[in-house]
Formats: sequence, structure tokens, C-alpha cells
Amino acid sequence: MRRMGWKGFLFLLPALALIAVFSLWPVLQSLTYTFFDYRLNNQQKSGLYLSERFNADLFNETAFYVGMFLEEDLPSMTDGADVEEAKRLLADLQRISGQYSEEKGVIRISKEQKEEIEQFYKAAKPKLEEWNRKYALKNGENLPLLLDDIKDSVIPSNFVGLDNYKKAFTDPRVGTAVWNTVLFTAVSVFFEFLFGLALALIMNKAFIGQGPVRTVSLIPWAIPTAVAALMWGYLYDGSFGVVAKIFEQVGLIQSSTDLLQSPGWAMAATIIADVWKTTPYMALLLLAGLQNISPSLYEAASIDGANKWQSFVRVTLPLLKPSILVALLFRTLDAFRVFDLIYVLTGGGPGGSTETLSVYAYKAMFGQTNFGYGSVVVMVMFACVAAIAVIFVKILGTNLMEKN
Amino acid sequence: MNRTMKLAGVLLVAVFLIAMLFPFFWIFITSFKSTGEIYGEGAFRVIPREPTLQNYLTVLFEKGILNAVKNSFIVAGTTTVYIIAVATLCAYAISRFEFRGKNLLLGLILAVSMFPQMIVTGPVYNLFHDLGLTNSYAVVLPYSTITLPTSVWILVTHFNQIPLALEESAKIDGASAFQTLYKIVFPLAAPGVFTTAIIVFIAAWNEFLLTVTLNSDVRYHTVPVAISFLRTQFEILWGQVTAATTIVTIPTLLVVLFFQKQIVSGLISGSVKE
Repeated sequence: MRRMGWKGFLFLLPALALIAVFSLWPVLQSLTYTFFDYRLNNQQKSGLYLSERFNADLFNETAFYVGMFLEEDLPSMTDGADVEEAKRLLADLQRISGQYSEEKGVIRISKEQKEEIEQFYKAAKPKLEEWNRKYALKNGENLPLLLDDIKDSVIPSNFVGLDNYKKAFTDPRVGTAVWNTVLFTAVSVFFEFLFGLALALIMNKAFIGQGPVRTVSLIPWAIPTAVAALMWGYLYDGSFGVVAKIFEQVGLIQSSTDLLQSPGWAMAATIIADVWKTTPYMALLLLAGLQNISPSLYEAASIDGANKWQSFVRVTLPLLKPSILVALLFRTLDAFRVFDLIYVLTGGGPGGSTETLSVYAYKAMFGQTNFGYGSVVVMVMFACVAAIAVIFVKILGTNLMEKN
Repeated sequence: MNRTMKLAGVLLVAVFLIAMLFPFFWIFITSFKSTGEIYGEGAFRVIPREPTLQNYLTVLFEKGILNAVKNSFIVAGTTTVYIIAVATLCAYAISRFEFRGKNLLLGLILAVSMFPQMIVTGPVYNLFHDLGLTNSYAVVLPYSTITLPTSVWILVTHFNQIPLALEESAKIDGASAFQTLYKIVFPLAAPGVFTTAIIVFIAAWNEFLLTVTLNSDVRYHTVPVAISFLRTQFEILWGQVTAATTIVTIPTLLVVLFFQKQIVSGLISGSVKE
């Protein structure tokens, strides 16, 4: 081992840069989102505004039209006092908008400037409503709406502190999503482990056809999850799906449409698809562990009079423990983060019965464009994933790292 | 006793093989059925009564599945090349140099591999939107979150198995650190690098979430996303879905057939300690 000089640091730099920009920064950014009422589809909430801001684009555009429309409507006013008043408003507007004609985007403005704009709005709004009643103005319908945009150019802070978290703790949908995620993870990892271990034990006994079995095992693992989900979507189809039909014939379900339409069976269906896709992966990991156990240990056990079961419990399991824990850690984390499979297969339905945390977070962020609240849901998932990882690493001890 | 055990084992393997292959088999035969047969009494017939290539023609020439395959090759290929370059450098330094914070770096890499992808997606979407990078192949950059940690991990394992003596003699002969890496270590580590490349390629090929959010334009859809869009809210054309699935499974099948040794070794060195 050499001590690393500055040149050595160049080896690390590209990887560090990628991790910083595409892994660490987004996590901090997501955390920041959770403290704001941050919605992309709402002009006043489409940024992170710790203090008040001013939407210069919106203001300039609106001020231009308000001025133009008001001027257009001047001839329709008959009362001289009203005309005077309207002219005064126009002058005010011109004076105010003069300050911002060079500005673009969302900017900061002083308290006085903000009050100036709000006062203009307060003065103009009742007048416009009054004139609308009095005269038949050409732009009578549009003007008050435009005026509201002037008020909306002043963006209030959308910092909400812990409100999003408070909302999440009382949101039954979050509770359901946590439960669905835990259920999906626990049941699918349990069966994957059971089947995977059985398969690994069989494959460890040299027999003809081990090669083909390994090849076949790798195909479900290697195809995209989204594709696998769609395949199963067809097999589960209520009218034309062969698996749904078989389940009906065997008597597991009353009608083949139940498979994806009833809450309990929809969850079972996603778990079956996941077990199908990842059992082989589990088997391969465990097989690698099994192959590291020296045959002489089994010989010694059998000389000591141990039967097959005893040597499995006393020799295989203890020596396989590290492999088992690592395989379980990887699979538990993967299952907990499940997205593609459920999003494509059930979309979280029926009635949210298969909606996991990642699916809910995705819907909140990209369906409702509510990034603030969606990020809180992500954080809940992040906390769970971290807890799972810490528990496993504690059990595994430091031996996960000692090799390096 | 031993015979029954053996028989049970063979039977179990047979059941396993059938369970693994049946979905593929059923998708394959459905892809040759006509729409009338799929949605009619022929839905459960094993051999199509009137085999047709119509589904294939539709997905190939009307639904642009070939464009998705092309995109997937571009995206997965680019990701593989640059991730391997970056990960090799990083893994080499970890394996060969002593520096402060090394354990911290390893811990960080392990932690990143455990991040939920969803946590990265929102901010990266905003970043790409602001930079005008949505709907482009720049999507390969955030692919680093899912591929880089595993790659570094696998490569460190492989580098650690290469004896130091060779490099030391190269150093005595006056080679620089970069020269040592490219002339001595890289050729020796080639099998490990190749294994990593295949794992990265498959991971990038299969990625769904980032592409579906960052590249909404159908011209940039990769295979998983394009296929998921064959199923809409109003119609599910199973004939086309099965034909498209059959087509896109072929590349995966070939990769698995030719590189299964590397895949298995990659999976194992990325996770299991010897």
C-alpha cells in the first residue's frame, strides 16, 4: 500500500463528482423540499421561497394588458370623476411598472415596493367592480381577473416548516402505503429465501443439467422489471389471462377477474410476480455461499454420526449465515424500494391496496406535481431503508467491509 | 431413501423450470395469435389456430419498438463505457492507495447503493428541466446512482485479487501510476472489468423510473418504458404487448446465454464475501 498523493486523488475525482451531483445533492435537495409547500403546477409555489418574492414576468405582462384594457375602456365611462380616477390609476400603474421593466423572472423586492403594489391592487379592485356595474365596459370580464394576477405577482413565502411531516403522520394513505410496503417486502423476501435456499441446495449437488438450470434462472432476473410486470399483467388478465383462469379452475378464486380486482389477491399477484423474478437471484447468491463450504466438514459430521438434517442445521446453516444475511439485506432493500413492478402491474390499485411508498411518492410528485409532500413520503421510505440497512449491518458486523 | 430424495430433487427442479419458463412460453405463443383469437374463445388455446405475424408487423413498423431498442442500446452502451472508466479509476485507488477517509468513502458508496431511487428523481428532474436536458440522452448521467456503487464494489474485489508485486516491479521500471493501471493492472483485471460491464449494461438496459420521468418524449423512450406505454388506460392490446415482449427479450436472452459465467461471478462478488 502506498500513501496517496494528489495524483491519486485524481483517480477518485470523477466518481466523487458523480456521486456528489447525482446522489448526495439530490438527497439534500429532497430534504429541503419537505419543508416547503412546493408545487410545480402553481405559479406561486413553483419554487423554494424562504422569503417573499416577486414574479416580474407575470407582473410586466399583466401590467401591460391592464393598462391597455383600461385605456380602451376610458371612452365608455361617462362620469367625469370616474375618468379622472381611472387616469390616476393608469398613472400609478405606469409609475410602478416603470421600476420593473428591466426585470425578468422571480426576483426579490423591498417591503415598500411590495406595499406599493398591494395598495394599488386594493385601490383598483373596488373601483373596477363599481365601474363594471355602472357601465358596459368592453373588457369588464377580463380586467378584474387580470388585476388578481397583479396581486399574485407578489409571491408569499411557501416555507411551511414541519407542516408536511405533520400532514404525513395523519395521512391514512401514508399509513396504508407503509403497511403495503412492509407486507410486500416481508412476504416476498420470505418466499424468495425459502425457494431460493431449496434451489441452491439442489443445485449444489452436482447433477446433469446444472448449466441449463442456471441459464433459465438468469432470464427472469435479466429482463426489465417493467417487461416482467406487463407479462404478468397479461397472465393475470381477468378475461383472457391463463394464470387467472387456472386459479379460478383450481378454486383459489371465485371468478378470474378477482385476481387483479380484489385487494387481497392483487397484493398476492404482485408478490407472486416478484417471487418469480427474484428467486433465481437469491438462489445464485446462496449457491455461491454453499460452494465455499468445504466438503470435508460434511464428511467429519457424518463420521460423527450426524444425519442429513443435523449436518444441514449444524454445518450448512451456520457457515452459510454471512451469505444468507447479505442476500437478505440486498433483497429486503430492493423489495422495500419496489416501484416498476407495481406501477406497471397494478398502478397501486385496486383502491390503493397495492400502493407502496415509492408508488405513492411518485404519484404525489409527478401526478399531482406536489414535490413538497411527495418528498416527505420519500423521506419516510428513506428512513425505513436506513433503519433496515443499519439493522442488517449491525448483525453482519464489520465483516462486510473487512475484506477491503 | 436416497433414491426418493434424488427423485424429489429432480421433480422440484422440473417444477422450478416449468414455473420459470411458462410465462415466456405463453407470451411467445400468444404473440402469434390474431386479435380475434386472443380476445375470444381461443384465449386459452395452446397452439394458435391461424398463426399470424400481424402483431410483430404492428409493433415493429407502427409502434416504433425498434427505435426503443436503439435508444436502449445507446443509453445502456454509453452508461457502461463511462461508468466502467470512472469506476475503474476509483476502485483502483481504493484497492491500491492508503488515504484518509477510505473507510468513509467505502461506507458512502455502500450507502448510495441503498438509496431509494425515488429520492434522487425529483431533484434531478428539476435540475434537468432547468438545464433543458429533459428528453435527451443526458439521462445516462443520473444512471450513475444505480450503477456506480455496485461497479466500484465489484471492481475493488477484483483488484484486490491481483498481486501487488507486478505493479511494484513496474514502478521500479519507472512507470507512472496511470501507466501501471493501463499496462499492468487493466489487462490482468480484464475479466473482472468485463463482468462489471455486463452487470452495468443490464442495469442500465432495465432502468425505468428515471427514463419515464425525465424523457417523456416517445422518441427517447427505452425498451421498458416503451413497452409499458403499450398498455394504456383505455385499451390493452395483448397481441402487441406479447410480440414486443418477445422481441425485446431476445437481446437479454443472448446476453444471458453468452455471458452467464460473468453475470454470476459479478452478482456474487458484488454481494457475497468469500
